[in-house]
Amino acid sequence: MAINHTRRDFLEASAATALASTALQSTSASRETPRKNIAIITTLWSYLRHGQHISDRFLVGYPWEGDWHDPQVQVVSAFVAQTPTAADMESRAAEFGFPQGDLSAERARQFDIELHTTIAAALRRGGDELAVDGVVIIAEHGEYPYNDKGQQLYPRFDFFSQVADVFEEDGHSVPVFNDKHLSFDFKKASSMVDTSSRLGFPLLAGSSLPVTWRMPEMEIPLGANVTEALVIDPGTSLDSSGLHSLEAMQCLVERRKGGESGVASVQLLEGDAVWQAMDQGAWSHDLMSRALSRADLVEGITLVDARTQNLASPGVLQEIVAEPRAVLISYRDGLKATMLMLSGAIGDYTAALRVGRRGEVYSTKFHLPAEPNVAYSACLAHHIEEMIVTGSPNYPVQRTLLVSGVLEAAHNSRVNGHKLLETPQLAVEYQPPRQSQYCRS
Amino acid sequence: MSRPRIAAIVTEYRRYSHAQHILDRYLFGYGWNGAHHIPPIDLVSLYTDQQPEGELSRSRSESCPQMKIFPTIAEALTLGGEELAVDGVLLIGEHGNYPSNDKGQRLYPRYEFFQEIVSVFRDSGRSVPVFNDKHLSWNWEWAKEMVDISRELDFPLLAGSSLPVTRRLPQIDMPLGSKVEEAMCIAVGGVDGYDIHALEAMQSMVERRRGGETGVQWIQAFRGADAVMQALKAGSFDAGGWDPDLFRACLCRSHRLVPTRQGFNHHLLTDDDVHSLLTAEENNNVPVLYRYQHHDGLKMNMLLIEGVVHDFTFAARLSDQTKPFSLQMYLNPREVCNFFNPLTYATERLFLERRSPYPVERTLLTTGLTAAGVESLYQDQARLKTPHLDIRYRPERKSTFWNN
Repeated sequence: MAINHTRRDFLEASAATALASTALQSTSASRETPRKNIAIITTLWSYLRHGQHISDRFLVGYPWEGDWHDPQVQVVSAFVAQTPTAADMESRAAEFGFPQGDLSAERARQFDIELHTTIAAALRRGGDELAVDGVVIIAEHGEYPYNDKGQQLYPRFDFFSQVADVFEEDGHSVPVFNDKHLSFDFKKASSMVDTSSRLGFPLLAGSSLPVTWRMPEMEIPLGANVTEALVIDPGTSLDSSGLHSLEAMQCLVERRKGGESGVASVQLLEGDAVWQAMDQGAWSHDLMSRALSRADLVEGITLVDARTQNLASPGVLQEIVAEPRAVLISYRDGLKATMLMLSGAIGDYTAALRVGRRGEVYSTKFHLPAEPNVAYSACLAHHIEEMIVTGSPNYPVQRTLLVSGVLEAAHNSRVNGHKLLETPQLAVEYQPPRQSQYCRS
Repeated sequence: MSRPRIAAIVTEYRRYSHAQHILDRYLFGYGWNGAHHIPPIDLVSLYTDQQPEGELSRSRSESCPQMKIFPTIAEALTLGGEELAVDGVLLIGEHGNYPSNDKGQRLYPRYEFFQEIVSVFRDSGRSVPVFNDKHLSWNWEWAKEMVDISRELDFPLLAGSSLPVTRRLPQIDMPLGSKVEEAMCIAVGGVDGYDIHALEAMQSMVERRRGGETGVQWIQAFRGADAVMQALKAGSFDAGGWDPDLFRACLCRSHRLVPTRQGFNHHLLTDDDVHSLLTAEENNNVPVLYRYQHHDGLKMNMLLIEGVVHDFTFAARLSDQTKPFSLQMYLNPREVCNFFNPLTYATERLFLERRSPYPVERTLLTTGLTAAGVESLYQDQARLKTPHLDIRYRPERKSTFWNN
């Protein structure tokens, strides 16, 4: 459904009402260059789902470098695949204290966005050919089935394919962002990256973890000799949370000497096998200890009487982590890396890496500002916007491709008796961005 | 030197009291510089003024028998003997059941505890470093006397809030020697409790300005949504408000900005939004504004507007920059309160180096500002001259906030 009046009419009208925000008013003034038109292709546009808190940044702006940033892109059309279920709306209304539901119709009215029932129509804005300057695909949240490995089958590949089909049919392409992993299936993920190369459009993907604030500020020096890496994931879902922690670690290790050369093998351990591997030294105790020390949200006895504690002391993790997981990763250049899922011990994503001949340890927490602001997605929105405006991503999509593949391999290990799986398909080679890309200003 | 042994003199040791946060870090260690740090200092004695139901001192002393409980402050300092027997004292007089005066000040017995401590110093003919948590006293004269006594008896005195030393987003400090024209802190909480945190957070920034600290000339405090809205709309400090760019920068540095538009999780607040949040039925916080000016002309605004934001942010106008200098002072959620890590570390440095890591004059000034702000509110928001706050000092050259 297209809306008749122009955006300018809307802005002038809304500026006269009490509803108009400062951010909205500022978008109508002092604009030097025309903004890029973008389409949002999402599974759900409801409160505090990725589709909402990322997309809304482009409608009302977001905090950036101590000011409120007026986006250089404007959302002109959208495709929203689902509306929340009644049960979801009920539980979230209880959680947030106000009625929940699909927000896309309201946003469409307020911000002059065309809502279309197909992805092709959203990209062509109801016309015959591609009519946007960028596409943001956010296929996270919503009712989608799981496979027997425990992966939720979000339609990222399907959405992307429909976008690429339009590009191909119409003979030109625009930048695309894909939220989180490219696909649950590495072959599909790989073909997405191939398609972007073949059609020559910039593709950015992944989690907000690599670009959010770090406590303390920390970056791996470019070309450093990284000898071991470890990341701790506070989540329970290997599929959903695991992508975040694996990509947080990948954005650090990719800066090692020689750049990224890919992953040779992946093994998932679950339950007591994790503690046995820990006792056998499958990862360095001191890296785990240092990563744990970066957490600000600590559970266990701290929740009982508020005391501080050394989570790396003997026996502590075994007592408080009911369902531990470890993803053991061997890179093709010999680097060993470990992702530990320690729900019940800490509530933060933290990492520690050993660097250089003297074995110096670099560690940090990937800081995720609280709800409702979840300001980490403003950091991600900034990189999405920059790619669409400049036509060039600030970091390579191969990072997310590799991590998508590691995550799938971990799920494959799960249904193959938790065996170590060789991963010849993950010979993903790339060079990291020279400039650090996380939020520090 | 061998491991220092210290005494803790506290009001109460219960879950989430300041004593719990600081003393537990001595007993169990804490995250510091990427490792679990155990202080190289022994906490050997404890005096608790109150023991409310469910308090922790007894169970902590059982599980950490090196920390013995004594019934008096003097005995805690002499370990039951004749003379001072510790190398340092933590004075933590925050939380507990103490009366308030008619100005709304909670009469925590910090000065009284301090007097008992220095009485042991005098009797023993020697003194050791003392840390005083938060402001020195609710009473300016007493605070001044505490600092004077520390000079007379020649022992290092460290005091204050954790706000100056907690993590910052971004991880920056006011460049030493900056020309600062005006500064603002937006914070949460109420008078005589959180004003000190906000005032001290600001002071730790502006004390680094060109010329160092010169003291404060006057202060005027306001209470209520109307007064805050009037200042918000004034457009400048000289017109009774503040530089609007500083207010905007603080809101943009907040990560806990309350949205007014239902269904939006994060948007910049208009003046009308601020008004509706200040006056919202569910907002039980009384907004407070302290305006004051330093002797060198620096203009200061401290705004407690919980319900509009839920965090601490700072912005300053520097003469040579078009964009405000701004940041957030990060406070972790209450379960862990890791902002006590850098404060505890500062107390360790005090005891190990026998030198205060940052000047107590900072806290003397903010103690005086807190008392003067409360007094201004008590005198119907009168503008008060503050000749007694003619406090001059130089900051540490090196940053002392948590950046490792």
